[in-house]
Amino acid sequence: MTDPIIKIENIKYRYKGSETDSLDDVSLAVNAGETLLLCGASGSGKTSVIRLINGLIPHYYNGEFTGNVTVAERNIAETELCDLAGTVGTVFQNPRSQFFSVDTDGEIVFGPENVGLPPSEIRKRKAQVVSEMGIEKLLDRSLFELSGGEKQRIACASVAALLPEIILLDEPSSNLDWAAMENLREIILTWKKQGKTVIVSEHRLWYLTGIIDRAVFMKKGRIEGAWSGEEFAKIPETELQEMALRPTSADCEYAKLFRDDGPDTDEGEKVSLGEDAIILRDFYFSYKKKPYVFRKHKFKKEDGEDLSLCIPKLTLPRGKVIAVVGRNGTGKSTFLRCLCGLEKDCTGTIESDGVTYKGRKRIGFSYMVMQDVNHQLFTDSVEAEVLLSMKVKDSQKCLEILRRLGLLGYKNTHPMALSGGQKQRVAIASAIAAGAELLLFDEPTSGLDYSHMVKVGKMLRELADGGSTVLVSTHDPELINLCCDTELVIRRGRASLRAFGDEKNGKE
Amino acid sequence: MRLDPRTKLFMVFVVSAIVMMSATTPLLWAVRIAVTMVPIILLITEKHYASAFRFLVLYGIALALLFGLLSEGSTGIVAALLLGYCCIIVQFLPAIITAWYVVRTTKIGEFVSAMQRMHVPDGITISLAVVMRFFPTIKEEYASIRDAMKMRGVMLGGGNAAKMIEFRMIPLLFSCVNIGDELSAAAITRGLGGKVKRTSATDLKMKAADWLMAVAFTAAAAVFVVFKYVL
Repeated sequence: MTDPIIKIENIKYRYKGSETDSLDDVSLAVNAGETLLLCGASGSGKTSVIRLINGLIPHYYNGEFTGNVTVAERNIAETELCDLAGTVGTVFQNPRSQFFSVDTDGEIVFGPENVGLPPSEIRKRKAQVVSEMGIEKLLDRSLFELSGGEKQRIACASVAALLPEIILLDEPSSNLDWAAMENLREIILTWKKQGKTVIVSEHRLWYLTGIIDRAVFMKKGRIEGAWSGEEFAKIPETELQEMALRPTSADCEYAKLFRDDGPDTDEGEKVSLGEDAIILRDFYFSYKKKPYVFRKHKFKKEDGEDLSLCIPKLTLPRGKVIAVVGRNGTGKSTFLRCLCGLEKDCTGTIESDGVTYKGRKRIGFSYMVMQDVNHQLFTDSVEAEVLLSMKVKDSQKCLEILRRLGLLGYKNTHPMALSGGQKQRVAIASAIAAGAELLLFDEPTSGLDYSHMVKVGKMLRELADGGSTVLVSTHDPELINLCCDTELVIRRGRASLRAFGDEKNGKE
Repeated sequence: MRLDPRTKLFMVFVVSAIVMMSATTPLLWAVRIAVTMVPIILLITEKHYASAFRFLVLYGIALALLFGLLSEGSTGIVAALLLGYCCIIVQFLPAIITAWYVVRTTKIGEFVSAMQRMHVPDGITISLAVVMRFFPTIKEEYASIRDAMKMRGVMLGGGNAAKMIEFRMIPLLFSCVNIGDELSAAAITRGLGGKVKRTSATDLKMKAADWLMAVAFTAAAAVFVVFKYVL
């Protein structure tokens, strides 16, 4: 047997300014051609291991470092980062911050240009990578207009263009829908067939089942377990949940739902709604702007096929958690944005309790917790954040809301100093303080491990039990299982509400 | 028609110089207007119809007002303000149109390649390229922050101008710093900053149109300099 291509020996690592070790005596050997999964809760050290291999630790992220890392017979501590570029390639989690160019062609050739390949060779590699990944259609486009899945494919292509032996993927599926995840699976399979060494750090596990050779489980900076791919797939769900891992197989019913491209269903309203419901009327919107010079065009039903969103009437049950599902680019985000009044050109109305909310009034009635919650926090303390939302400042009520969300201990903390989950709760607290009845969540669980997802699920449930109506767009079947009462399927901008099939009710 | 980025940079340079010199004779006015029409026509050839049309209308109105309705003898506040606005637009819009055309139609790859051809050091080229790449990102981030502010009803910061700026800038700075940090990590793992001389996959060639444009703009600049300072 040959020497392992990656050898990590007794690494201890602590980020600058941190009080605990991020990696605690980690040793790992990876053979050439192996496909390895790194799993574990958030903060368990998966990303740090990835950074060890691509050399960002210790070269870019300073900290206390002991131990030895050898990658392709090179000692990482003594190798310059730029010399590793042709050997190790990394696909990062967030597509918006890993692109250097603004156009797809420039991005793919960026790596090869950096290492100084001759132009003819660069063009040859570009053509090769493009045909391997089937991304001909994506060429000559602006990166800013691509969907999450398309961006991730360009990221994969631009890494592959350097022909690295080792490819690292750091939570690559965070912003992807199901179809895109299956596509990612295909890409990893291609690399595997080419004999590349692939290491994936990931929370969503189902799409990797069957292609990984080995799974390594990390907890609090230590490696706590390793299984072969087959063994790992057989671990029962309860045991996985104890490890804070998500299931390794996707529930069939939901898998069907997410993949289904069937015809639009308009009959929809089989769900018993009761007397008390929220009625949405005339939600029309399109991103395909009609050419205009000085005056914008209002959307109407008659625009028909041009509309990205077309909802003449929709009834939502009050006090429920409603999952908004559908593929990327079918109008989920558009729907949420229109619903909370962010798209001025959408003239829909919301009826609730006999009151009709129009235009700007919708903003007070509904509130969206954005995917990047950092954008929503403006002040220098949690308490000020909540008070800012109140028309009449009532610190008693503010404390009550903070207590309800378990934030009382943090009321004087700067919101930016909180963890992701806590920030999310601060945003919710300010929504409640503003008196919003309709709470919208845009993919709140992407990039979360199982235990955090359970927490979010519980919180959504509590919000609904407390009288709010919760709409949550998601690609996670696990979350739907955990807390949703009913789901709203959006296909090509058309929405239909449906109750869960008997299968789920039977299971419970 | 695609122009070489070097030609475009030259155009920006010439137009910026021309807008700093005021036109005094009909000939100079004609040159000035011709120089303004060129980027508008180029925008049309690159299919940016809407912006070309808007620039054309704006420039046309300002010119018409300036020559048709206003004169040195105009009095009254409205006329004075109008005169001021029209003068500013007529004076500086040509530079704005040209800059807009260059930014909208130049790819970063082309730009970097052109700078390398001109032997500009990589440090400067890369910094400029990052700036170009960051504009759309800032725009996106700023749009989300505005949305968040709209939802919270704090667009006006409670009538407090300092708060209005604070609410916009703080989240924007936080996310730009984060993105910048991740961006440089990603760029380094792909070999940026190595000792090897960077190459470029974009092949640049000065075509007939480029030479034509370069000659035309040089001539325009020459006319201005000669008629204003020599004769």
